[in-house]
Amino acid sequence: MAMHRETDKIGAVLVVGAGVAGMQAALDLANSGYYVYLTDRSPTIGGIMAQLDKTFPTNDCSMCIISPKLVEVGRHLNIEVLPDTDVETLEGELGHFRATLNRRPRYIDPVKCTGCGDCRKVCPVMAVNEFNAGLDLREATYIRYPQAVPLAFAIDRQVCIGCGLCGQVCLAQAIKYHDVPVKREIEVGAVILTVGTEVFDPSGLENYHYAQQPNVVTSLEFERILSASGPYRGHLMRPYDREEPKKIAWLQCVGSRDVRTNSYCSAVCCMYAIKEAVIAKEHAHGDLDTAIFYMDMRTYGKDFEQYYNRAREEHGVRFIRSRVHSIDPDGECDLRISYVDDRGEKQSESFDLAVLSVGFQVSESVKHLARRLGIGLNQHNFAQTDPFMPVATSRPGVYVCGTFQCPKDIPQSVMEASAAAAACSAALSEARWTRTKSKAVPPERAVSAAEPRIGVFVCNCGINIGGIVDVPAVREYARTLPQVVHVEDNLYTCSQDTQVKISKIIQEHNLNRVVVAAWTPLTHEPMFQETLIDVGLNKYLFEMANIRNQDSWVHMKEPERATAKAKDLVRMAVARARLLKPLVEKPLDITQRALVIGGGMAGLIAALNLADQGFETIIIEKDKELGGNARHLGHTIEGRDVQKFLHRLIADVENHARIQILTQALVVGFSGYKGNFTTEVLVGPGMYERKIKHGATIVATGAQEYRPREFLYGEHDQVMTLLELGHKVSQRYEVAKWDRVVMIQCVGSRNAENPNCSRICCQGAVKYALQLKDINPDLDVVILYRDLRMYGFLEDYYLKARNQGVMFARYDLDNPPQVESVDGKLRVTFNDHILNCPVQMPVDAVVLSAATRAADTEELASLLKIPRSADGFFIEAHAKLRPVDFASEGIFLCGMAHSPKLISESIAQAMAAAARAGAFLADVSQTISGVTAHVDQSRCAACLVCVKTCPYGVPHINRDNVSEINVALCQGCGTCASECPAKVIQLAHYEDDQLSAKIRAAF
Amino acid sequence: MIKAVPKPLEEIIDLVKDFHKVLIVGCDGCVTVCEAGGLKEVQVLGSSLRLYFTQAGQRMDIDETSLTRQCDQEYLDQLKDRIDHYEAVVSLACGCGVQYLAERYHDKIVYPGVDTCFMGVDLERGVYAERCQACGKCILANTGGICPIARCSKRMLNGPCGGSEKGKCEVNPEIDCGWQLIYDRLKILGQLDRFEQPVDPKDWATSRDGGPRKIVREDLRL
Repeated sequence: MAMHRETDKIGAVLVVGAGVAGMQAALDLANSGYYVYLTDRSPTIGGIMAQLDKTFPTNDCSMCIISPKLVEVGRHLNIEVLPDTDVETLEGELGHFRATLNRRPRYIDPVKCTGCGDCRKVCPVMAVNEFNAGLDLREATYIRYPQAVPLAFAIDRQVCIGCGLCGQVCLAQAIKYHDVPVKREIEVGAVILTVGTEVFDPSGLENYHYAQQPNVVTSLEFERILSASGPYRGHLMRPYDREEPKKIAWLQCVGSRDVRTNSYCSAVCCMYAIKEAVIAKEHAHGDLDTAIFYMDMRTYGKDFEQYYNRAREEHGVRFIRSRVHSIDPDGECDLRISYVDDRGEKQSESFDLAVLSVGFQVSESVKHLARRLGIGLNQHNFAQTDPFMPVATSRPGVYVCGTFQCPKDIPQSVMEASAAAAACSAALSEARWTRTKSKAVPPERAVSAAEPRIGVFVCNCGINIGGIVDVPAVREYARTLPQVVHVEDNLYTCSQDTQVKISKIIQEHNLNRVVVAAWTPLTHEPMFQETLIDVGLNKYLFEMANIRNQDSWVHMKEPERATAKAKDLVRMAVARARLLKPLVEKPLDITQRALVIGGGMAGLIAALNLADQGFETIIIEKDKELGGNARHLGHTIEGRDVQKFLHRLIADVENHARIQILTQALVVGFSGYKGNFTTEVLVGPGMYERKIKHGATIVATGAQEYRPREFLYGEHDQVMTLLELGHKVSQRYEVAKWDRVVMIQCVGSRNAENPNCSRICCQGAVKYALQLKDINPDLDVVILYRDLRMYGFLEDYYLKARNQGVMFARYDLDNPPQVESVDGKLRVTFNDHILNCPVQMPVDAVVLSAATRAADTEELASLLKIPRSADGFFIEAHAKLRPVDFASEGIFLCGMAHSPKLISESIAQAMAAAARAGAFLADVSQTISGVTAHVDQSRCAACLVCVKTCPYGVPHINRDNVSEINVALCQGCGTCASECPAKVIQLAHYEDDQLSAKIRAAF
Repeated sequence: MIKAVPKPLEEIIDLVKDFHKVLIVGCDGCVTVCEAGGLKEVQVLGSSLRLYFTQAGQRMDIDETSLTRQCDQEYLDQLKDRIDHYEAVVSLACGCGVQYLAERYHDKIVYPGVDTCFMGVDLERGVYAERCQACGKCILANTGGICPIARCSKRMLNGPCGGSEKGKCEVNPEIDCGWQLIYDRLKILGQLDRFEQPVDPKDWATSRDGGPRKIVREDLRL
């Protein structure tokens, strides 16, 4: 793949918008061999996700999970981060675009700025802090948040008075008052729009008094209120009087599902409202009463329903089914919420704080951008896409993902981002590695036998450290430590010129260990390690002492003791440095072939994309035919012909020179590790055995429709599932004779046996209701539902169905409808919640929205050692940010094997899996980390503790009856080393003696 | 294997509090596998004691080591050059190891650091269950591979007592009735006719009733 062929396509991609989706697309592309320009209108990357407090359904801290991504993007050799930048024009076509970029002035040079913050300390002007959703103030010289990338300040010239103080204090001389806009033209082969959306501004909804009442806040404001880095430092307070609220109400669908504002569903607000209610309760000091006012609780995502159930049952969040019509002032600053309950009775209740769950909408600037770029928008002003090509815009070569495609949550955005990367990668595959930069690495010098020669570099960090800690004293102290041969202090140890200086000193003094006393290793260690590599020193011979975050920042009022602590930290670092060993990072050989398990829609799409990317791909399908569940579907809800698309897809796959198909094939063995797997397959009809060597694996084993045991299914012919109805609708003649049909939702879903929502059945029922109405407008269609989960633009079809006279009636789990057969005729009885009395009707057919259940993959899961949830769906590496990866590297996941999903979503996820697998295969320069676990086998008791505790299933007891850890598979987490009862496992670079030396040096 | 649990820290503190130099000796055998007395537990105990005595202001030198097995002379011999430095030794081996260590170093104070519980199996990490009482005359061939000596609270030999209810033992509803398990297994094996033959009273002489036991294998002796 690394061949440099002559091509006229341009192997670079422009990614517009650097939120979580833009970052993911950029990383996937850059790792796949394309040069990426990543622009953002704001001074930093990170988007809205950086503003969120926690993320559902895992309650992970948003900043904690996004910041490693920020760092990775910021440091990537082949991603050029372009903040403050707009795309003005885009000319050309797929393969050859020419884009004009306009960089707005920032007034501080981001290359020179070290992010020390001295400029902010002297700035006399305050402005509204938009990062904290306007709830507090910031200086005119500002950085959006401390973890921002690029880690550089900017001046807000709208409020700056031009006093010049920041210019005087900036020792890095980064202030540029006379900065001007800069235009630039770039050439790219493709473009990805990840511009995102804005949150709805509820000021115009007069009955909610958002603009007048400080204690009416938006959900984004509430995220900042909850956040530890927010305006109230994570203390739960309401804006008016900074008192802790005792009663909080959430109002759902503000700016969503409302024909006056936006008629679509914003898809994420139900979940974030539940999350905010649960987290608020955690923050509260006393009992906090939380109530969520909603129309339909749309917790349709993977494991979301269980989150909802826990919120209601364990956390006591109240859920009130109602659309609130007004919030009025109550007393000085409390709020009275008036609503009509689900029995039609007027109610009112007083709250301390009201949170408006605002939805997404496309901003004016994005509409302009779309016009400039010539891409079509749909009726809601989102990018127009096709369900079979979910990431392609109307302009070939311009792709879209994230919320600008349709409102969606983070994992769905991340999946689509990878999908968009896959689309680019397939389109530009011959130009792979033609525009990328690479770095020459000098040979490493041998140091293992040599006496340690340690160099210590102490950082002033402007005045961040130097203003509190006596840096020269720390430097001189370091000189007295054994085996330290050189000491030095720097104004900014992290700046580029200091790196050059450090390189020289390493060579001049023949240093073989380097200690930097400065910031956190999280952001800076890789940069210093690169400096070591550049002068031929093994990168593991480096140690940091964090004398800023852990010292000068927390002890700023006690400079003397801070200096003493800095000495302690430096002494500890030197003690460990002395024992550091150079570690070898072996190159990883990667077999350039992918295996896709499952030949349904997801598997086919993934295989086709990988083959288009240039990789040989093998599909294993257990059935005789390809196509999976999609073979049973007529049209999508948008009216697109599934069979036509599927037949074309199968033909493309069958005719592709780089794809091999094995049908009636069964996986019976799986061995190896990332880049070097061997799968044993029995191939029918003769069941001969084949061994396939491959570098990446995609699991796309699908799911199946539940066979109901409820509602006379299997006993009466006219009781059928949605899939079975689909066949009858395609044939038309039978359904045309019906007078009335009742559809029952959530059959086998959202109950004690299967607590999950099956996601796709609400739209399935509405889709067939509309198709039935098309065939016979006089047909009565009644849909009995619990919550109608028509998320995103599916809401349009819900509206359309109601307009066409489809009747919707809600039922509760404890009072389900009754289906009876009287003299062979079907009769349905259900409770009408408005009339509050039972309604009985004879019907021609009963259609059950049967759950989507996991396929039987128990054996496959144990062969591949990949985890499944209790309900049998595979578990991805991270619910938010790694939605198509398994924790074991080189194995990826897509389609309904992950969870129930629509065809368009399966396609996007399949392309995402192909992008991730393609990036993995393409990156032939990968090495195996030196930080791996090693077993002293002579004393191993074969107790199995490492085997049982390793989260990646790596250790095994070998034929010699001792534990063996394959370093190529080891992720270096250290769990086995800490658990081993015989203490025979050590994690390289974190060995007991190294850490003990560090701890002993502290005392 | 032999299953043991660490003794409470307070108990060990009480044992060693009057000394100033103590050696903790782990065993790399059974107690390592059940995570009660391997080198890791030795180090955890050592650190805990050091913390305690440092806070109490008492001088206490504690050293840590672990032997391949404490039930073999050859491994115990490895301590001979250093054991005199210590006033007391805490052994984290099973009762066999503690005794053999005390036997080998006759004039040294040796304390047990674990409670030895039984011979058993690992149900899962941290969950162990008794399976054998070492009666010296195995009858598993006749009881469907389930031992009534180890698994029936009363060591009944001819079926359950009246205290077996819904498959559970009257001693504790958490305990499966051993005889229910035997019955179920024999049924699966098609060997329920075993119940038709009464079993003679067991000769407990091979068990503890014959006094402390010893095996002499002439075929193996050198």
